[in-house]
Amino acid sequence: MRAGSPPRILAAGLALAIGVSACGPQPPDGATLVKQSSQRMLALKGFHFQMQITGFTGPDELVQSAQGDAHPPDLHAKVNLKQGAILLEVEVIFKADSVYLKSFTGGWQQLTAAQVAQYFDARLLFDPQAGLFAAMRDTTAPSRGNSEKVDGHDAHTVDGMLQGTRVHQLLPLIREQGAYHATYWIESPSNNLWRARVSGNLFDASQAATIVFDFTSHDHPVSVTPPPLG
Amino acid sequence: MITPFRSPRPRSVNRPALLSLTGAGLFLASLDAYVVVTALLPMLTSVHIAVNRPEQATPIITGFLLGYLAVMPIAGGLSDRFGRIRVFAACLALFAFGSFLTASAPSLSQLVTGRLLQGAGGGALVPAVLALAADLYPSGDRSPVLGAVSALQEVGSVLGPLWGGLVTASSFGWTWIFWLNIPVAALIVWALWPEIRSRREERRPANLDWIGASLATAGLAFLTLALYGTNPEQSPVGEGFLWQAPLAIICFGVFVWYERRTPHPLINVRWFRDSSFGGSAVTNAIAGAGLMVALVYIPVLANAVFSMNASGSALLLVRLMLGIPIGALLGGWLAHRMRSYRFVAALGLVLAAAGFLMLSGWTEGSLKPHLIGPLTVADGELFLTGLGLGLEIAPVSAALLDAVGEAERGAGASFLIVMRLVGMLVGFSLVAGFGLWEFHRATAHLLPPLPGLNPNFAAQFAFYTLKVKQAIFDEYHLIFRATAIALLVGAAVAAATLRPLARPRWQ
Repeated sequence: MRAGSPPRILAAGLALAIGVSACGPQPPDGATLVKQSSQRMLALKGFHFQMQITGFTGPDELVQSAQGDAHPPDLHAKVNLKQGAILLEVEVIFKADSVYLKSFTGGWQQLTAAQVAQYFDARLLFDPQAGLFAAMRDTTAPSRGNSEKVDGHDAHTVDGMLQGTRVHQLLPLIREQGAYHATYWIESPSNNLWRARVSGNLFDASQAATIVFDFTSHDHPVSVTPPPLG
Repeated sequence: MITPFRSPRPRSVNRPALLSLTGAGLFLASLDAYVVVTALLPMLTSVHIAVNRPEQATPIITGFLLGYLAVMPIAGGLSDRFGRIRVFAACLALFAFGSFLTASAPSLSQLVTGRLLQGAGGGALVPAVLALAADLYPSGDRSPVLGAVSALQEVGSVLGPLWGGLVTASSFGWTWIFWLNIPVAALIVWALWPEIRSRREERRPANLDWIGASLATAGLAFLTLALYGTNPEQSPVGEGFLWQAPLAIICFGVFVWYERRTPHPLINVRWFRDSSFGGSAVTNAIAGAGLMVALVYIPVLANAVFSMNASGSALLLVRLMLGIPIGALLGGWLAHRMRSYRFVAALGLVLAAAGFLMLSGWTEGSLKPHLIGPLTVADGELFLTGLGLGLEIAPVSAALLDAVGEAERGAGASFLIVMRLVGMLVGFSLVAGFGLWEFHRATAHLLPPLPGLNPNFAAQFAFYTLKVKQAIFDEYHLIFRATAIALLVGAAVAAATLRPLARPRWQ
């Protein structure tokens, strides 16, 4: 068949039409996606989160994972603490200025914010100024990558860097020096953040660690109530 | 029908080689039956489960037993239809795949799925190998071979906790318990490959009672879920107990109804007309529950209160496990000598109950007092418990097998194993839920001191640790006493029902 014959032109036109319709509207660039997602996550009425720390964390970093529901600053979470080679689970509730802890045995006991800061101040994770969603805005050189499925949702990956001083605010044992690699999985156009990953030599100058946050139930109202003491 | 041993195989095959290879596979699977009991803590940590949430470990144990129970009753029939060695190889591959899922599990759900598949693959090997052995040897020479295959399986399950403890305590870690299964299983299948491809194996028409098997499995699954206390602070049983338990009863009811009507039932319900059969089935289940309690709670007690590592826990358990084969041999000899199944079975269960009562009195210093030479009183108590549990095996098995017809001995033998596993599954599920519920009840108001928050932290923490250990002991005392009572009930049932029968009454 000759080049440019009607059937070939038709096929090329069809392929182009299919290609254009499959692509749909282009998602925003990395910087815009991260900024919009940050705004979206800060405005949610509630969400479910899961945090997992892997790699080298050193002897002082007790928190290994946490999961729960939050409507910052209120939060209810179960936290796994490393104790030698084993894990121990505690439950924490942050409600207004009060902090409640349910440990290995017994019921709930009330602590002050200063007392809980010695262990794990989970409020910092999602604090409107110091937390993860606020830190997203400070991501440098954000670049949009491929679309990936997270928890059944199509999300665009955005890679960038976060300064150590910024990440240190989430967990005080994270080193302030240098910068860490950050990746976000953001759904468009909802701007829901489904996953965030921060990796690098977080707890030691020569050994790597990774923190992964997973989010679900975006904007589902979360109401945290103080537990009965004792 | 469960595990029919039918027409003989051609004699031209290399019988010792075939039996050795399949026996090796069976041994491998039986090692893994209770291997996890000494590896539970590191397994939990690997899938990010905290040790103060031990209820989440329950499905790691019950999953294997449930998989085993689901497949075992139909495996004999499957091997009739598709060939013994093909079914053996397929099930060994399933076992190896389950081992892969278990070893590589990043989450509890994959770990439990792996154990379920391990159980399903491993459970099917027992009737497949027994049936193969029965095919390979004529009826006159069959008994010692079948005995050797059964012994191999028993020895494997006895050594499993020790094997698990040693691997876990080594620098390799617990995952190697399961990684090692894969090359060994592959080697066995590779060695069997010419036989698998030869198409020499005879295939026979088999009437598989799929409906019966599905009903029984569904009933057991609902019962296990109903008894699984996911929140032991609130309840000793599962959150769905109120609908799952009735569903389990309905499944079992329909199962019995169906089995009475179908021409090729999984279980011949006529067997139950003989009180000796019913009695030995119940006794066997109670003994299975007792064994499971010992298997799980002695290592956990060793770890939580005596601060032993995995190999230390395994070595403590070995003292009990050693008593089982010795008791089994002694029980067979005694029953034959005394011409009484009921006395020896009841004696075994009473001794086991006495052993559990002694264990229920253990305190922190119980491992120290010496009995004779290097042996401690605790060694003696553990051995006595195992000896009692072993003593009842032969008379209870013989009483049950005497109560079924000659042609149904294979099915009867499989039913024996099924009942033992049912006892293990139900007994452990019950004990796990009630034990943890009791622990939470006892510590409901015991607030732990926190460093930096309590002025005299060191002293308060020592006091707190003492209280927690006491609560753990209280939990174990309750569990072991309850098990002792159950074993005494089993002894009473055995004494009231078991008798040596020359031939089945209804035949």
